[in-house]
Amino acid sequence: MHHIYCPYCEETREEEEYSYTGEAHIERPKDPAAISDEAWADYLFFRSNPRGIHHEMWYHAAGCRRYFNVTRNTQSYQIHETYKMGELPTITAASLDQAAPQGDAS
Amino acid sequence: MSQVNRLATGGRIDRSKPMSFSFNGKTYHGFDGDTLASALLANGVGIVGRSFKYSRARGILGHGAEEPNALMQLHTGNAAVPNPRATQVELFDGLVSGSTNGWPSVEFDLMEWVGKMGGKMMPPGFYYKTFMAPQKMWMTYEKFIRKAAGFGKLSLAPDPDTYDKINAHCDVIVVGAGPAGLTAALEAGRSGKRVIIVDEQNEFGGTLLANNQTVDGVDAAQWAQQATAQLTDMSNVVVMPRTTAFGYYDHNFVCALERRTDHLGPVSTSGSRQRLHRIRAHQVILATGAIERPLVFGNNDLPGIMLANSVSTYINRYAVVPGNRCVVMTTNDSGYQTALDIQAAGRTVVAVVDSRHAPDGRLVQQAKAAGIEIMTGHGVTEAQGSKRVVGAIVAPLDEAGDTLTGPAKTLSCDLIAVAGGWSPVVHLSCHTGSRPVWQEDIAGFVPGPSIQNQHLAGAITGDYKLSQALNAGVQAGAAAVGVESAHVFDCGDESEGAAQALYLIPHTKPVSRAPKQFVDFQNDVTAAGIELAAREGFQSIEHVKRYTAMGFGTDQGKTGNVNGMAIVAKTLNKSIAETGTTIFRPAYTPVTFGALGGRDVGVLLDPARHTAMHPWHVANGAKFENVGQWKRPWYFPQQGETMQQTLNRECLAVRNSVGILDASTLGKIDIQGKDAREFLNRVYTNAWSKLAPGKCRYGLMLKEDGMIFDDGVTACLSDQHFLMTTTSGGAAAVLGWLELWHQTEWPELEVYFTSVTDQWATCSFAGPNSRKVLEKLCTDVDLSAEAMKFMDYREGTVAGIKARIFRISFTGELSFEVNVPADQGHYMWQKLMEAGEEFGITPYGTESMHVLRAEKGFIIAGQDTDGSMTPQDCLMGWAVSKTKSFSFLGERSFSRPDTARADRKQLVGLKPIDPTVVIPEGSQIVMDPNQPIPMDMMGHVTSSYWSECLGHGIAMGTVKGGCDRMGQTVYCPQADGRVLAAQICSPVFYDPKGDHHHD
Amino acid sequence: MTNSTSTQATDIMESPLHNHVAHTNADNAGVVMSEDKFRGHLNLRGNPQDADFMAAVASVLSVPLPTAPNTSARAGDTVAYWLCPNEWLLIVASGTQGQVENALRQAVADKGGNQHIAVTDVSSAQTLVNLSGSGVEQLLQKSTVYDCHEANFPAGKVVQTTFAKTGTTICKLADGSVDLVIRRSFSDYFFLWLQDASEEYGLHIA
Repeated sequence: MHHIYCPYCEETREEEEYSYTGEAHIERPKDPAAISDEAWADYLFFRSNPRGIHHEMWYHAAGCRRYFNVTRNTQSYQIHETYKMGELPTITAASLDQAAPQGDAS
Repeated sequence: MSQVNRLATGGRIDRSKPMSFSFNGKTYHGFDGDTLASALLANGVGIVGRSFKYSRARGILGHGAEEPNALMQLHTGNAAVPNPRATQVELFDGLVSGSTNGWPSVEFDLMEWVGKMGGKMMPPGFYYKTFMAPQKMWMTYEKFIRKAAGFGKLSLAPDPDTYDKINAHCDVIVVGAGPAGLTAALEAGRSGKRVIIVDEQNEFGGTLLANNQTVDGVDAAQWAQQATAQLTDMSNVVVMPRTTAFGYYDHNFVCALERRTDHLGPVSTSGSRQRLHRIRAHQVILATGAIERPLVFGNNDLPGIMLANSVSTYINRYAVVPGNRCVVMTTNDSGYQTALDIQAAGRTVVAVVDSRHAPDGRLVQQAKAAGIEIMTGHGVTEAQGSKRVVGAIVAPLDEAGDTLTGPAKTLSCDLIAVAGGWSPVVHLSCHTGSRPVWQEDIAGFVPGPSIQNQHLAGAITGDYKLSQALNAGVQAGAAAVGVESAHVFDCGDESEGAAQALYLIPHTKPVSRAPKQFVDFQNDVTAAGIELAAREGFQSIEHVKRYTAMGFGTDQGKTGNVNGMAIVAKTLNKSIAETGTTIFRPAYTPVTFGALGGRDVGVLLDPARHTAMHPWHVANGAKFENVGQWKRPWYFPQQGETMQQTLNRECLAVRNSVGILDASTLGKIDIQGKDAREFLNRVYTNAWSKLAPGKCRYGLMLKEDGMIFDDGVTACLSDQHFLMTTTSGGAAAVLGWLELWHQTEWPELEVYFTSVTDQWATCSFAGPNSRKVLEKLCTDVDLSAEAMKFMDYREGTVAGIKARIFRISFTGELSFEVNVPADQGHYMWQKLMEAGEEFGITPYGTESMHVLRAEKGFIIAGQDTDGSMTPQDCLMGWAVSKTKSFSFLGERSFSRPDTARADRKQLVGLKPIDPTVVIPEGSQIVMDPNQPIPMDMMGHVTSSYWSECLGHGIAMGTVKGGCDRMGQTVYCPQADGRVLAAQICSPVFYDPKGDHHHD
Repeated sequence: MTNSTSTQATDIMESPLHNHVAHTNADNAGVVMSEDKFRGHLNLRGNPQDADFMAAVASVLSVPLPTAPNTSARAGDTVAYWLCPNEWLLIVASGTQGQVENALRQAVADKGGNQHIAVTDVSSAQTLVNLSGSGVEQLLQKSTVYDCHEANFPAGKVVQTTFAKTGTTICKLADGSVDLVIRRSFSDYFFLWLQDASEEYGLHIA
């Protein structure tokens, strides 16, 4: 059971209040008519599904009804940060890789 | 006194409270404070069950959660409880218990002979190898195997008890109230933070309750009582005995089962029997202790062979000595304590058999001084006996414990206490994904690194000395609340000799031919079986587990796993660290389904949502249908009517006069803002820029893949104010969908959405007389056909209530919807019924609504569509705008190759050739009924009804390329052999020109 | 309870919990429920960074809108709950919701009229229920995943969360009792749950 910090309610709440709504930062093509079937299919159906750091959207369905972003490790379920819609993550797979040699493994 | 093994003094039982109980039909006696296991042992009961696979006689091995054999059947009738461990059942007066298996009885079990004769023929994988072919016989085999294997039995009657759940939050949870847990909780509690401490036993203290050491000079058990009292006095500490933390989940979420009344009687007389606590903790302290390991030797499962520490616990805590002549088999110093305890209880210690060649710890010296015979460098290779151990065959071992070095001799005994070392209880730490790591110096697995806010204290880390555990608890408690503590306990622990890592004691015969050497008692897994699995190529420990069933089920490998892994490692010539361990899953010990269900049963299983008019529907005999969570009137039968007769009457009333439907359940979303129109343009297929105030429009909502997701009518209340309706089941999903697009892609659009589903009660009345009904109640709106056209919206006063009036139709008839604030919905409904009386106004339910809309070919999103239908597939291209500048949701997908295929399934009308036939919904559609199976499936029937006004059956269905097949005959083969033929036609069966609703 | 200043014809109105009449199933019941029926409920949307909007609303309500998450503001019969950064629930005296709605729109218009706001009457969509008594804290523990302990949930705090298998908005009051906003269609379920969950404490319907 996840315990998730809602950046709008500014509190950590139980998973029951939320629903998972898929990968974050998938932008709708600005001019769908202008792109190829392949590019449209990529937008529609293909998601990164990484093992490890994943940026994803959650919906605070039983709370403030805001969507927000979560940086979560899909293997350990550790949540590294949550951030508001429109913001960018400060922690990414790349940033953690860079930090790893100096940092500890915990 | 019939309690032959009960000591006259000592123990934590209350001899002033005698209790009687029954086991397998015989009456026995025990005392308050006993467990069922201690009481059975006190009465000299040896055999408590039969084993799972070989049906061997089994006795009590342990004294707690680790017990693999003594699974009981408790209570009778509807209170029956299958499979609790006798070691965890508190005795109460009148307790009725029995074995879960054994036929005709546990003492004389016919299946044992099958096990003996067939034992060699039942290797691991036996069931896979033997019973899989022919496959169709499996059901027959399984029935026999299940009966033979003997699980406990559930009553088929409803459980008379109630169960509930509660959510708890704390700064620190301490799991286990042994020495480490108690000091951890005391330390954390002193900080004032919120602390919960749970322990599975009725009394806090754990090993302190059966320990003859002292803590800071106080008797251990007495110290435990004092510590518990201190905790109970702290208002910030919640003390929960009889509570098992059975699962440890992500982000420090712990589930614990509290047994509230199990110890009082078979059925609770006050409140819930068990309560599931869902605990969110900032910090978790695991002080779960360790479980003693048995050793693997021939016939090591005979009744009378027990864990040494359990024997000590029975003596010291329950005043029960489970034998008269005892051999202690040990690989470490702790077995000597048991020998001393047995001697102190006045029974004979035949010998301590120690695998080590030169043990010299404090306890060894004490045993020597007490005159106990010690056989160093020896091992018990085999136990003798059939229903009870009668002797131990003992032989000398080499230093490594690998090889026998001399002749064996037999020691006569009726109890073998086995001390094979300790296994930390790492189960909970594994639940969150942490893999245990092998620690050579303690010959055991300890919890590995964890990303949870987790602390460990005591025997779980291999700190087996009492002072170590107490002090580790202090440090863990302090760390969990962010303070420092220098408190150090003194228990007078002295040095212990090193333990030997020994698991399987060699036999004169090879493992494959020696008498059965059990590893996992509950699943009947033997050393030979594990060796065979390894030889057959199962080299991963996970595969060995699944092939042999070692550590399966309720046992979760508590006693057997480490021995099994050691045998695998040895067979593969690897170290235990290399072969590794399987991990443990929740639940640590079994949890009743009742507790998992809690109060979410019966009427509380799922919320039933009611409209404001619900009491009227109930009072007027409605049958209800579930639509999402809503209870909607399905139909309103009158006395003596069949359902079809009701539907015919209801539908004809709408077609000929007037009917009334409660449409309050439709989702309603209030939309305000200057960009509301633009937003609607983007989420609907059609255009909204020019919809004038006072007008309504039907809209189709698509997902980005172009498939229909929801539909409904949206009214323009004023230029920047709209009211959207959705399907009854889709309201929450649609609101979430609108918010998703607004919040993530188009936050610049100035628009707000608010759910008003519950605000408005909606009376929909339809039929040629519907205007006349409304005219009687509403005088401030011109309701004439010219003034209020089809798809118009007006505000007005109806029966004195300010109302929103819509002229929309889902029946094909002249129809109005009156929306009033739900507080007045019941009143409005009654007023409309009164006003309509002279026209025979007829309430109708969802079933008639379905018939009426199907006669008109109107779809129901979710019934005629299934997430794979485009508007074009539903012949609704008319609802798709081709001129909007913004590429609305789903539009781009229309030109995807798959969406644009000509042979897609399309929604068409189906008219049965035999007019009396109603084709079952879901029927498959084929073109050639004589084609051999498998036939080419062309589609299926989505809606099908009897139309009383048309006098024949009608249906809608999807058919590949259906639009180009108008007039063709299709066939619907039925399971009963009938083949129902139908002609493809327009789905609009009734009033194709739409004259009626435009009247 | 609020005195009705309304012209509403309450004799033809039914509150969501109207059919659960006053009764007691235990002496000194640990849970006391009372429905504060027919209060005006308005859902308000607007931009809290817009000083004109905030000032306009404050002038109508006689109290500024709360902007800190999970807080409330109270003035007389009026209370405003923070629901999300641009959404509030206003609970006003019975029957005044129409006047307040109009006043809000007018006040915002008077400030310039271009503010993007929404006001929606949801008075019939939900009801306000007060729970008090010694059993309430445990009752809430059984019913909601939110931590309603005093340390985490002081007076004045408001949270939207789950309640059994439905949702609710809970506000802690100064007297230790809680106000719950219950959706109309779930009110029968809410009452069934309440009866069941309060059984061990006793229930009094005021």
